[in-house]
Amino acid sequence: MREMIKMIVVLSVICGISGVSLAALKSVTAPRIEEQILSYVQAPAIEQVLAAHDNNPIRDRKIFTVQDQQVTIFPALKGGSLVGLAFETSGQGYGGDIGVMVGFDPESGNLSGIGITTMKETPGVGSKVSKHGFTSQFHGMTAEQARLKSGGGEVNAVAGATISSTGTVAAVQKAVKIYNELRSKLTTAWQ
Amino acid sequence: MSRLWKEFSKGLWKDLPPFKLVLGLCPVLAVTSTAENGFGMGMAVIFVLTLSNLLVSLVRKIIPAKVRIACFIVIAASLVVAVELLMQAYAFPLYQQLGIFVPLIVVNCIILGRAEAFASKNPPLLAIADGLGMGMGFTMSLTFLGGLREVLGHGQLFGHTVVWDGFEPLSFMAAAPGAFVTLGILLALMNFFTNLQRKRKGLAPVDGPTHDCGSCGVCGGR
Amino acid sequence: MQEYFLLFIAAIFVNNIVLAQYLGNCPFIGTSKETSVALGMGGAVVFVAVMATAITWLVQEYLLSPLGLDFLQTLAFILVIASLVQFVEMFLKKMVPPLYKSLGIFLPLITTNCAVMGIALICQRKEFPLLKSVAFAAASGIGFMIALVVLAGIRERLEIRRVPRAMRGTPVGLVMAGLMSLAFFAFKGMI
Repeated sequence: MREMIKMIVVLSVICGISGVSLAALKSVTAPRIEEQILSYVQAPAIEQVLAAHDNNPIRDRKIFTVQDQQVTIFPALKGGSLVGLAFETSGQGYGGDIGVMVGFDPESGNLSGIGITTMKETPGVGSKVSKHGFTSQFHGMTAEQARLKSGGGEVNAVAGATISSTGTVAAVQKAVKIYNELRSKLTTAWQ
Repeated sequence: MSRLWKEFSKGLWKDLPPFKLVLGLCPVLAVTSTAENGFGMGMAVIFVLTLSNLLVSLVRKIIPAKVRIACFIVIAASLVVAVELLMQAYAFPLYQQLGIFVPLIVVNCIILGRAEAFASKNPPLLAIADGLGMGMGFTMSLTFLGGLREVLGHGQLFGHTVVWDGFEPLSFMAAAPGAFVTLGILLALMNFFTNLQRKRKGLAPVDGPTHDCGSCGVCGGR
Repeated sequence: MQEYFLLFIAAIFVNNIVLAQYLGNCPFIGTSKETSVALGMGGAVVFVAVMATAITWLVQEYLLSPLGLDFLQTLAFILVIASLVQFVEMFLKKMVPPLYKSLGIFLPLITTNCAVMGIALICQRKEFPLLKSVAFAAASGIGFMIALVVLAGIRERLEIRRVPRAMRGTPVGLVMAGLMSLAFFAFKGMI
C-alpha cells in the first residue's frame, strides 16, 4: 500500500512539474511562434494580394474588433502612407473551410487581389480555386463585381467545383462586409 | 575525469548510434534526404537526450522501480514538447520540414534506451556526458547520411551545388528506397572495417551488431 | 464508399506506412526474421493502432482542443498509447488467453513503435473525422503487416543463402527493405 502511494505521488509530482514548466515555456514563446507562423504560412498570400510596399506587413499588423470577432489586418505602407490592406476570412468549401486572404485598395475600396491560405478541397478539382487562373480574376473588382456570374457578378466559377468557388466568393464577400465596417478606422490607423 | 571522457567519447565511435548501436531507425531514414535536415534532427535529439539523461539521473533514486518507464516517458515527452515549442519559435522552416518526426522523437528508442540502460544507473555528470556523446554521434551519422544522399540525389550539399556539370542526380537516392539501401550498405561497411581491424589484431571475425529493439527496456528486455 | 476504398488502397500500397513514410522501421527490421513472428507483430500493430487512433482522436477533440492545450499533444498521445498498451495486455491476459499467447509478447514493444503514434499524428495533421481516422489506422496497420510479412518471407530464404559476413543480419535486411520499397514505388501514380 505504501509503495502504491509513493508510486502515485512520484508520478503526479513529475507530471505536475512538467505541466507547469511547459505552460511557462508556452507563454514565453507564444508571441514569437505566432509571428513565425504568420511570416512563413501567411506571408506568401499577403505579399500576393498587396500593392507594392516598403514596410513589413506582418510586423505592422493590428487587431480590430468587428461584430465581436477579432480580425488581424496587415497594412501595406509606401513612404508612410497606406496603399493596401489585407486580412483573412473563410468560407465553407466542399472539404472544410477555405481560408482566403483578401487585399483591398484603400483609395478606391476595390479588391487588390485574393489568395487562398488554407483549404482541404478535392485535389485536382476544387483545389483549382487556389490557382492563378481563378484568383487573378478578383484583381481590381468592386464588391458588386466579386460575385459568381450565376449570382449577378463577374467571377467565372471553376468548372466542376461550384461549391469550392461559392465558398471562396462567400469568404470574399464576408471580407468586404468587414472592410466596410472598419473603413473609417482603417484609414487613420497607421498614420 | 577519464571516466567522464570515456562515457562521452564512446558515443562518437565505439558505440556510434545508429551504426554500432542500431537504434531509432525511423528518423535516420526519414529525415536524411538532405544534410541540413539530418543535422537539425540531430540537434533536437542532442537537446532531448542530454536533458532527459540528466533529469532521469537526478530522480533515479526517488522513482519506484515499477513506474520508472512511465516516469521516463513523461520526462522525455515533456522535453520533446519543449523542443517543439522552441523549434516553432526559432527554426520554423526546419520544424515544417521535419514534420511529424519532431513529436516522434519521444518514441525514438535511443532516448528511452539511454535512460534505462545508462542514466538510471549513473550520477548526473556521467549521464550528461553519455547523452552529449551519444547525441553528437547520432548527429554526425545523420548529417553524414544526409550529406551522402543529398550529393547523390540532388547534386548538392547543404543546399550548395557541389557536383560537376553533366552530373545526373539519382532521384532514387533522395527517395525512400535510397534511404534503406544506403543505410544497409553503410552498416555493412562498418561491419567490414570492424572485422578488418580484428583480423589485423589476430582476432576471429564477428557478426555485426544486430538490430536491438529490446535494449530500450520498455518491454523489460523481452 | 469509393472514398474509403481509395483510402485503403492509398494507405496500403501507395503511401505504405513503412516503405514510403518511414514509420515503424524498428520493429520492421527487428521482428522480420520469421514469418510467424511477423504475423503476430503485424496483428498486434493493427489492433493497437486502431484503438490508439480512436482514443487519441477523442482526447484531442474533447480534452486538448477545448482546453487550449494543443501544444501538449505529444505528451498526451504517448501517455494514452503507453497506458492503452498496458491495459490491453492485462485485458487479453485475463479474458482472452489464446489471443494473448499469440500477440502478448509483442504488445510492450508497440509502445515505442512509432508507426502507432505516427498514424495517430497523421490523422490529426490531416484533420480526418473520427470514422476516417479509424479506417486510415486500420489500413495503415494492414499495410505495415503486409510489408512485415513479405520481408520476413524474404529473410527466411536469405537464412539458407551464403550472404557475405558483413552484410548478414540488419544490413541485408535493410537492403531488402529498400528493394521492396522500390517495388512499392510502382504504385505511385496509381491514384
